[in-house]
Amino acid sequence: MKNISKILILALLLGFAFCKKDKKTDPVPTPVPVPTTVDTSYGKLNIEFENVAGTNALQFNTNYVNAKGDTFKVSKFNYFISNIVITKNDNSTFTEIESYHLIEHSNPSTSIVTLINVPKGSYKSISFTLGVDSARNTAGAQNGALSQTSGMYWSWTSGYIMFKLEGTAPKSAASGKALIYHIGGYGGANKAQRNFTFNFASTTANVSAAIKPQIHLQADVLEFFKTPNLIDVSTQNFQMSSNATAKMYANNYADLIRFEHVHN
Amino acid sequence: MVKKIILYFFVIVFGFACKVDPKINAPLPTNNLVEVIPQGWPKPNYTFSVNTISQDKFALGRALFYEKMLSIDNSISCGSCHQQFVAFADADHGVSHGINDLLGTRNTPALFNLNWHNSFMHDGGINNIEVMPLAPITNSVEMGEDLNNVIAKLQASTKYKDLFNKAYGSETVDSQKILRAMAQFMGLIYSYNSKYDLYKRGENNAQFDAAEQRGYSLFLTKCSSCHTEPLFTDFKYRSNGTLINPFINDIGRAHITSEALDRYKFKTPSLRNIALTKPYMHDGSLQTLNQCLDHYTNPITDTINLDPLLKTNGIAMTPTEKQDIIAFLNTLTDYKFLADKRFADPNIK
Repeated sequence: MKNISKILILALLLGFAFCKKDKKTDPVPTPVPVPTTVDTSYGKLNIEFENVAGTNALQFNTNYVNAKGDTFKVSKFNYFISNIVITKNDNSTFTEIESYHLIEHSNPSTSIVTLINVPKGSYKSISFTLGVDSARNTAGAQNGALSQTSGMYWSWTSGYIMFKLEGTAPKSAASGKALIYHIGGYGGANKAQRNFTFNFASTTANVSAAIKPQIHLQADVLEFFKTPNLIDVSTQNFQMSSNATAKMYANNYADLIRFEHVHN
Repeated sequence: MVKKIILYFFVIVFGFACKVDPKINAPLPTNNLVEVIPQGWPKPNYTFSVNTISQDKFALGRALFYEKMLSIDNSISCGSCHQQFVAFADADHGVSHGINDLLGTRNTPALFNLNWHNSFMHDGGINNIEVMPLAPITNSVEMGEDLNNVIAKLQASTKYKDLFNKAYGSETVDSQKILRAMAQFMGLIYSYNSKYDLYKRGENNAQFDAAEQRGYSLFLTKCSSCHTEPLFTDFKYRSNGTLINPFINDIGRAHITSEALDRYKFKTPSLRNIALTKPYMHDGSLQTLNQCLDHYTNPITDTINLDPLLKTNGIAMTPTEKQDIIAFLNTLTDYKFLADKRFADPNIK
């Protein structure tokens, strides 16, 4: 009888051992090195993306005049910021992990990006990309800022719309006098990502547990129409794909963002 | 008696511990849901390394594939136009009907062995199987729906709360969960058990008859440079001389790349299960395999960017050779995959 119970227990164990439970969760991305307890060697840093039209804060449905002298209004203004890196005075760098942010003018809470777990120190410069890297454009379904639900992803030709500016202009020959600029393209000659680097000149962003500095940047829609190509809204009013024309527009937003100041 | 008790105990323990979803019948060699690389095939382009395979995710993906809530008026599912009995093509439809009976411009492609593809659609516009469903869901003549609406509808459904909970341990619906579950279902639709496959693997004493054997030899010299074994496609874009419909003027691959050299080029389709997937060509303009072969032997129209392999005279084939090639093409039908209940509409009991 003893033997039988032994066999039964063995059977029970075997039974469960053979049944590998399916993993229900996907592998977690590389974890952010979260400092344990209160560690005064880390702090936070804010980056403000203030959308402007020249010297004015950008307002929807307000008349602005572009470089060519044509009036236009904005009704939508979205862009991705990714792969943010900040550099200390000693040239060491901090790279944000999972660094993808969608700035939507309709949603003011998206205008401030907060870096966390930043090593304490004085930072002299920042660099980032306007757009989304090639790897994430081909990586399938994403979540967070890169979720395919944001309206910033093309369904018919896979890839992110890196930059989206919509509005109207009296001179636009398009239906409804529309301006529609959906700019994307993640690889090849027409790729639409543009890199920015700003040195803070005489000042630094001093990160510590006590101080959360803010890097104030401005994204100026007027710059989009100005250089290197002077945009004529009467004919250049529509773009919804990746090609040489999209590249031309991307070149125009290569100076969209400018450094304003740092406050500590 | 004691032996019997032990036997029953084993049965009970194994029976309960290894509970298999009764809706998923597994009568086939892929006895469970596992990634398959058939003998002699290259490595697939998409693996399930991140989107790890589970019965519950597959069951969710299967439910979503056959879910009409994916369309704006809840009238059309993926399965409406991708029908299993014709290898997930759309039976006898040159182009398919979307919402409100709107017609598309291209023939519904068959679905199988998708993990080996590095692009999807006739123009290759989609770069990952996970984002494939976005195209038909949002296309105005297909499902005409918005992804956020799909999420809201599924979130409001008791059935889907349960399915998402089982698959992901949370009833919260999001687009990544939807798309990965669907990729799991679509990616596990394998077809590798045709007569041709059995013959190549030396299984079940499968033999080609004389016509099939002649057809296979002819196929290798006349067709396989584009319809390359073992997937029967080279995954490239080519113009095969199909006449351009001036009312549609579908520029194919150039729609994606804007390159002049890509105009009127379309992705080489796999010829697996080809006997079932009529009508043929990207626009569904040919009705039979005979017509397809005639297309290549009749003086071929020198359309824009016509493939160099077809320049001058197309492909030389006698009428007898064509019949032999068709005999071979018929060996590419995989009846096991067509009848695999795991891929069937779960709403039909």
